[in-house]
Amino acid sequence: MASFKPTKIQVYPKLGEKVTQDTLYWKNYKAPVQIKEFGAITNIDFSPVSPHNFAVTAFTRIHIYGPFSQEPVKTFTRFKDTAYCGRFRSDGQLLVAGCEDSVVRLFDVSGKVALRMFKGHTKAVHLTDFTSDRYQILTGSDDYTCRLWDIPSATELNNYQEHTDYIRCGVTSKLNRDLFITGSYDHTVKVFDARVDKSVMTMDHAHPVESLLLYPSEGLLVSAGGRYVKVWDLLKGGQPLVSLKNHHKTVTCLSLSSNGQRLLSASLDRHVKVYNTTNYKVVHNFDYASAILSLALAPDDESIVVGMTNNILSIKHRKSPEESKEKAEQQRRRPSYRVFVKGKNYIPKQDDYLVSKPVKQHLAKYDKQLKKFNVSKALDTALESWTRLRKPEITVAVVKELDRRGTLKNALAGRDEQWLSQFLNFLIGNLVDTRFTPVLITPAEMILDIYQSIVGQSPVVDRQLLRLHDLLEKEIDYQKDLLEVLGMLDTLFASTCPRKEVPCSGISRSNGLAQGEASSTSRPELQVT
Amino acid sequence: MAADGGRSSLQLPCVFSPKSRQYLALCAQDGRLRIWNTDSKTLHQEYVPSAHLSATCTCIAWGPCRTVKEGPQRKKRKSEAVQTEEKADLLAMGTAAGSVLIYSTAKGALHCTLDGGHSGGVNCVQWHPEDSLLYSGSDDTNIVEWDLQTGKTRSKWKADRSAVTSLCVSPDGKLLLSAGQIIKMWNLDTKEVYRKFTGHATAVTTLRFATTRPPDSNGLYFLSGAAHDRLLSVWQVREDGKDKNSVVSFTLTDEPQHIDLVASNSKDEAVRLAVVCKDGQLHLFEHFLNGPCKKPLSPSCTVQMSDTKENPMPIPLLAAAFGTDIRTVLLAYGNHLQPVMERVEINTAERHQCLTRDVQTSLSLTMETMVSKVKTPIVNANNRVLVPGVPGHHAPVKVASQGSEKRKKDTDTKEMSIAERLGEIDLSTVSTDKAAPKGMASLQTDNFAVLLVQGLESNDTNILNKVFQTRKEMVIKKTVARLPLPAVLPLVEELTKRLQGHPFMAVLMVRWLKAVLMHHTSYLASLPDLVTQLGVLYCMIESRVKMFHKLTKLHGKLYLLTTQVATSDSSNMVSDVDHTAKLVYEEESSDEDEASGDEGLPDNDSDHWEEEEMMEEEDKEEQADEEDEDPDSRTESKANGEEDMEHENESEEE
Repeated sequence: MASFKPTKIQVYPKLGEKVTQDTLYWKNYKAPVQIKEFGAITNIDFSPVSPHNFAVTAFTRIHIYGPFSQEPVKTFTRFKDTAYCGRFRSDGQLLVAGCEDSVVRLFDVSGKVALRMFKGHTKAVHLTDFTSDRYQILTGSDDYTCRLWDIPSATELNNYQEHTDYIRCGVTSKLNRDLFITGSYDHTVKVFDARVDKSVMTMDHAHPVESLLLYPSEGLLVSAGGRYVKVWDLLKGGQPLVSLKNHHKTVTCLSLSSNGQRLLSASLDRHVKVYNTTNYKVVHNFDYASAILSLALAPDDESIVVGMTNNILSIKHRKSPEESKEKAEQQRRRPSYRVFVKGKNYIPKQDDYLVSKPVKQHLAKYDKQLKKFNVSKALDTALESWTRLRKPEITVAVVKELDRRGTLKNALAGRDEQWLSQFLNFLIGNLVDTRFTPVLITPAEMILDIYQSIVGQSPVVDRQLLRLHDLLEKEIDYQKDLLEVLGMLDTLFASTCPRKEVPCSGISRSNGLAQGEASSTSRPELQVT
Repeated sequence: MAADGGRSSLQLPCVFSPKSRQYLALCAQDGRLRIWNTDSKTLHQEYVPSAHLSATCTCIAWGPCRTVKEGPQRKKRKSEAVQTEEKADLLAMGTAAGSVLIYSTAKGALHCTLDGGHSGGVNCVQWHPEDSLLYSGSDDTNIVEWDLQTGKTRSKWKADRSAVTSLCVSPDGKLLLSAGQIIKMWNLDTKEVYRKFTGHATAVTTLRFATTRPPDSNGLYFLSGAAHDRLLSVWQVREDGKDKNSVVSFTLTDEPQHIDLVASNSKDEAVRLAVVCKDGQLHLFEHFLNGPCKKPLSPSCTVQMSDTKENPMPIPLLAAAFGTDIRTVLLAYGNHLQPVMERVEINTAERHQCLTRDVQTSLSLTMETMVSKVKTPIVNANNRVLVPGVPGHHAPVKVASQGSEKRKKDTDTKEMSIAERLGEIDLSTVSTDKAAPKGMASLQTDNFAVLLVQGLESNDTNILNKVFQTRKEMVIKKTVARLPLPAVLPLVEELTKRLQGHPFMAVLMVRWLKAVLMHHTSYLASLPDLVTQLGVLYCMIESRVKMFHKLTKLHGKLYLLTTQVATSDSSNMVSDVDHTAKLVYEEESSDEDEASGDEGLPDNDSDHWEEEEMMEEEDKEEQADEEDEDPDSRTESKANGEEDMEHENESEEE
């Protein structure tokens, strides 16, 4: 007995952006928490130790926020002027910050008053950091110098005067306590060694350098400045590896995701771009409301914190796994585990005679009706509003099946005004969709044939016919234009490879979309002819 | 008749010196005190209080003439006889900070500063006519009596529950009027309240004694004006204390700003009143104060001033004072920074007069620059005030303009950079408005090209949407033409993505694509991997136009049907007006085998779409039928023509 074959729902290629693992990962964040600060947020730094508080430098204050608090857990206000670059030490106990008044202050995270004040710079200090041995501080200032300070004695150890413009960014090596790198507005990035009195390496970024980032392995250095993000190979003596230009305004901040696989860059053009660090392609993009000045990622990418020029601090927390799971469970309720497993784990013995239970074929509602030759009802089911709006391909597949059986006309005939307007609505919505056009033209023609006589009787249907007419007119105009373009392209192709025909097969191989469409279009044509 | 001139808390203080009216003291918006000579019309002195910006001057009062310190009766005589000897000298200025400055015009410098009396801003100052005493009322609800000999407070008392906004000392120096909302009359010897007068709903801004105290006390009158009030009320101080309500009121067109008054000494002498209102009009009153009068009195004469332009603009009057002669009035008008003074003879026979003066251009220009300080002073070069017929008016103008220039320069240095930055946008819009359409297009496309490149670089959907939504062919062309070559391929990719959408939007994308292909043909042709670059696009277009043939057919069908609907509708319309029956008869008589209109169609059409030739024939028949009825059929035939054309196209392609 030949069984009923359920209607095959064609799988169409999806239009629009491709959903990749990256998009799923980076979209898995909650709606941002937004906190208004007192001024533009120039720096954000996460504490390296749990619970991973983060220090936010804005105007004359440094606020320390807990991982989930929306109020600062701690505030440092002892600045005479705008504070810059509040950074934690690797043990999370101390915090250093520069200031517009050229004094560098060192705070105990639990205290309030500065433990040490480092005076010596003559202009604003925009760069402060701890060296990896925890006993020294690196500072860089607008007076073109960068200095090393001893924490216990609060004395200046060394002074480097090689840059010829403001020093605005820098990093210290986490592996070597003597190594640090500074970036300056004189377009250069310099690698310094504290054991020597001068720089050991100089790289030209070609734009004022705004931010620097060292890979955890410290073989690669990333610099941002102007619209460019550049990657340098330090082990090869500062050879440029990649130059990325994906922003249309100055890139202000860089960050690395926790596993080191993704690089993030934030810019004044309001975007944060996520790059794959193997091929340096942009894999994701965040939009923000205002120009971004600072960006930081929590360990394990638990949250993305972004500071903007409009004084707003935006914190996005990752969705907890339970939250995303719950949703899935709500959507589909399965039978309980016991029922599901019942008898499944029984292992048949050698001499057991196995009687296979006929697997009951589950049929969709429209298939059941099709099986009973209730063509009109099947079409009704396929036109139910949820299917019609969410999965038009099902409706289209049913229409196609009806057409194949030759009963489409019967299914369409004898309907009332309401149904007709509904169907016409569906046609208006989907007729110009390239994926459905070949199938839907047939019912459209049939409708016109069948209901020709009553045209003019119902204003609703008339209006819809007029709309359909307008739509078709547009589509035809559009296709005429496309044909012209096609002609242009032909000429172009012909001029490039005069001997050959246009290699259509080669093209279609490169394009999955076109293939799918070609296959979908071919069938109805056969039927028509 | 102590210090002269009116003052209101909201207005800029502006006072004529007593009696001779030789000087006009004016405190302008910039916080400077300027004293103008009304005879020579020149700037006499200028004084900048050290805190002129933080503690602005709120009120001014001229002190009594210094050379003679006598009673009012004798003064009167003096002023007529030996006017030259008398000179108004001292000027008291109350500030918002609560101090009172005494300025000496004889020295041309600050005489002394009285402070420590008030904790709130000073609202009003009044001189005692005889003793060297000064009264000041303040926001802190107190009145302070200052002794000018020592420069200290002599006494201080709480006058009201709200701020004291106005004060007036009686001509004989025995009574003091003070007002917040309630007017109180104080006995100055005992500092006790003598009378209270209620009736004003808002803060009283003006108080003035209208008569010198006659022997019988019933004849003492004073008048008061309040903020936002268009009435001046006259109150009578009666022996029996039945003086709850005002006896007379004068109607004005707006809140009083400056009042000058010639008090009456006896019952048969009229009180003459000149009131300058906030709207810049001057009203003159003349009235005998002899008891209550129910109706509000309207002015005997109203004076307005306007400029000599084609469409005259009013020039606001600042102050007015009666001169020594009965007929003449001394007017100050125009701008606070550069008032123009003039003695005018007013013909009181006419109820309403309008004087025209040619000061408008310079005045209005300076007005603008003064009022909005942000504006860049474009008019610095021609910042001159020329008043024809007033000789010697140039000198002060220069001084004044220099002063204001300084201030403007200060603001310039701060604000030019912002103005420059922001101004570019304005400039471009202004120039586009004025420039030829071609220039406009180029300007806009320049922006668009930059925007497009930016959008493509950062893949910003907002920017791209904005750019792609333009419908102007010209803009598209120029934008594409200005596009740098490296951005061409990303643009094509973006367009390919967008071409898949709804035809309404995609039509625009095709225009862009065409423009790209036209402008960058050679560049595209030079690409070695052109086929792979544009292959996606090519295939997409091909797959889309595959259905062109069928869609066109469907369109044709629909067109026929919809026009049919239209014709049936229109025929219905016609039938509503005419008689249907008539038409039907005609139809049947002319054509036997076809019924008219809708009924004929279904029979034919059931089998009629399969073969096109049949259909066309029928169409022709129908057309022939309908041609005499309807103009629509012509378009129909055109449509059929189009169809044919399209069929041809398709055959070519295939």
